[in-house]
Amino acid sequence: MNIDAQLYLNLIRGGAAKLAQERQTINELNVFPIPDGDTGDNMYMTIEAGSQMQGSTLSQAADEVSRGMLLGARGNSGVILSRIFAGIAKGFQGLQQADMGQFTQAMQCAVKEAYSAVAQPVEGTILTVLREGVDAAGNAPTLETFFDQWIAAMEQSLQHTPELLDVLKKAGVVDSGGAGLLCIAEGMRAALHGESIATMESPNAPQAHQTVDFNAFTQDSILEFGYCTEFLLRLQSSKVNLDSFDESIIKDWLESIGDSLVFFRDGSIIKVHVHTMDPGAVLSKCRQWGEFLTIKIENMTLQHHENHMDQRFKRARKPLGVVTVAAGKGLADTFRQMGADAVIEGGQTMNPPVERFLDAFKEIGADHILVFPNNSNIILTAKQAAEIYADAHVEVIPTKTLGEGYYALANLDADEAPETLVQSLTEAAASVTTGLVSRAIRDAEGVKEGDYVGITGKDILCSGASAEEAAEMLSEKLDAGSADVLLLMAGQDAKAPQALQETLQKKYPMAEVILLQGDQPVYDYIIVLC
Amino acid sequence: MLKLYTDSDTDVTPKVAKEHGYSGYISMPYSVDAKTIHPYEDFETFDCHGFYEMLRSGVLPTTSAISKERYIEIFEPDFAAGNDILYVHFSRAMTATFDAMDQAVAHLKTKYPGVRFEEIDTKGITTICYPIVVKAGDLFKAGKSLDQILEWAAQEVDHWAMYFFADDLKFFRRSGRVSGLAATMGTLIGLRPIIYMSPEGKMVSFGTEKGRMKAMLHLVNKVKELGLDAKQHGIYIGHTDAPEIAHQVGQMLQESLGEDLQITYVECNPTAGSHSGPNGVGVCFHAIHR
Repeated sequence: MNIDAQLYLNLIRGGAAKLAQERQTINELNVFPIPDGDTGDNMYMTIEAGSQMQGSTLSQAADEVSRGMLLGARGNSGVILSRIFAGIAKGFQGLQQADMGQFTQAMQCAVKEAYSAVAQPVEGTILTVLREGVDAAGNAPTLETFFDQWIAAMEQSLQHTPELLDVLKKAGVVDSGGAGLLCIAEGMRAALHGESIATMESPNAPQAHQTVDFNAFTQDSILEFGYCTEFLLRLQSSKVNLDSFDESIIKDWLESIGDSLVFFRDGSIIKVHVHTMDPGAVLSKCRQWGEFLTIKIENMTLQHHENHMDQRFKRARKPLGVVTVAAGKGLADTFRQMGADAVIEGGQTMNPPVERFLDAFKEIGADHILVFPNNSNIILTAKQAAEIYADAHVEVIPTKTLGEGYYALANLDADEAPETLVQSLTEAAASVTTGLVSRAIRDAEGVKEGDYVGITGKDILCSGASAEEAAEMLSEKLDAGSADVLLLMAGQDAKAPQALQETLQKKYPMAEVILLQGDQPVYDYIIVLC
Repeated sequence: MLKLYTDSDTDVTPKVAKEHGYSGYISMPYSVDAKTIHPYEDFETFDCHGFYEMLRSGVLPTTSAISKERYIEIFEPDFAAGNDILYVHFSRAMTATFDAMDQAVAHLKTKYPGVRFEEIDTKGITTICYPIVVKAGDLFKAGKSLDQILEWAAQEVDHWAMYFFADDLKFFRRSGRVSGLAATMGTLIGLRPIIYMSPEGKMVSFGTEKGRMKAMLHLVNKVKELGLDAKQHGIYIGHTDAPEIAHQVGQMLQESLGEDLQITYVECNPTAGSHSGPNGVGVCFHAIHR
């Protein structure tokens, strides 16, 4: 069967309809290049813009579809998708209709065009899935067998994407762009067989800002991910010589100031997608070559937060999850930055119940979960929760103090096999000595109420008039001079942590004294000797 | 006539390069807040402390490759004048910038046939390049021919070793230019990977030390273990705004190898430093092997 304009347009519409159905599923897979959860929406809006086009010859239809997608392309994956169909259009150039040889050649053009649009192609993405699929279907004798082989190879390739891209492996998902392309291919195959796909669209057409929580970026927030900046630039003959202008000057500059760059030129139009901290500079610079047809700028911290809220309930299972217990905002934030998926509020004066652990396990949704209780009174509760929970293999690292938990978590190597991880982390926790400084709440032997005491385990080793004095004495008692590292965690009531750090560093030059603002209650200082 | 070129990623400043016979100096750019900066073109003196303080405050610069057109601009005057060129540069294995240079050189060779363009790949970046650049320049100044300098480099480049550590691995992780880094948050508890320049010219992490003192001792012990005529060649200690740590390592080396050990302290250039971050120290020395 030859492919003509009508069949080609039907295939595109079939692909768009299928993607409309699976859009949300694709969104939830999105973790690369940043987890902004909009791959399904972006790819759908791109192909949808192309599916509304017409053309009497195959060449015209393919050009129109390509132009529609160029104008409608959104996001990294949407822009790459538009280049795939631009490549096909190049392959169909001048044809009324295409035979199998010409169709296969056009698909190879699609691969080439898609790779060339990305400044730094990354394997394990839509590019790999497309390339491996087209390679596998290269000698198919008919359109039907081409689609069967293409789809089968893309399914296989998609399953391998986590092996190629670490971020996917850690999140326990396959590549979202590749998954979107597979959906489109399935829709195209259904259209080839004359099947109709009912769309669930229109009333709920994607709206990027529909559920954005603007409070996710407050006056104190830090711009972590920058801005997703997309535009169509029409080169102006008053500004550049269109015949001799080398667009790589723009591409090189954009590469130097941003990342995730997707860039291509079609005649006098240049399409750009770039993640940058300073979109203003990008726009000012690019105006020296032309004027903008469209501009879209979004704060990716908001996109990420929005997606994070959705994924709390919907994300795919991770291979490994981490739960810690901590009191104090500083330590809780630190544990999250170190990779903890859930931080349960708790500590010496507030032991969390089993239910809190079970809720955390459920929310994480991982195959293996490691728990760091960080208090000897909480270890048993954590173990009970681990025994009750049936939906994951949960193991408790018996960390008795926040210091042990911090040290063990910093040693966690996610690439290590779960079977050996427990032992190595338990050994790491047991290898450190922890001392605590707290204010005495009543008189005791040799200690007056209001004094600061230095404790290790259940033993009071020293007391002083200030927390800093007690911390210095405690360090001496614990033989800080023989340690390689002394971690000093400052509590919420600590008065002079930096001065104490300097004092200890001078006193113990062979040890490295590292200060951490833990903001924990009860203990003015936690000293961890490693 | 032979003309010598080097670049800013070797840690050699334009002033030092000129003293050692170099007439060409290529500035390798980095970008901060969408502004591209060319070292020693956009500023005269490198403010080492100011730059690394900026990194400490959370700014993460990016680096970018030079375009083919820029390389043509740089080399064409010497090609046009019929001068042969020797470019002593940082490691090819760590950048794509030399692909653009190859294209530029191929273009210029077609346009100006007969001009000879040769390279010495120092198979390193920052301070390890410094002695190689300086010594190649000295040979040129002493009247050695292009082939004699190339012959010297073929023997000597692999005898220069560099071992180093840095405080914060987020810079290395982001750049993806060090292989073998453990996927832990170990730097939070003072665990420091020791990294070396491999014979292929790549940065490879091969072990970890707990605490800065042990990391410094590791560097000293490497010089003792692998050093070959270290006193004759001198030691080069590079740092990313950590002069006190660098001098402490220098002192430990002098205590170990003799007070007359000559040490040159070098500030690591901002472009390479964008990948390593502040508080890094590296020791470069003449070695049995890397």
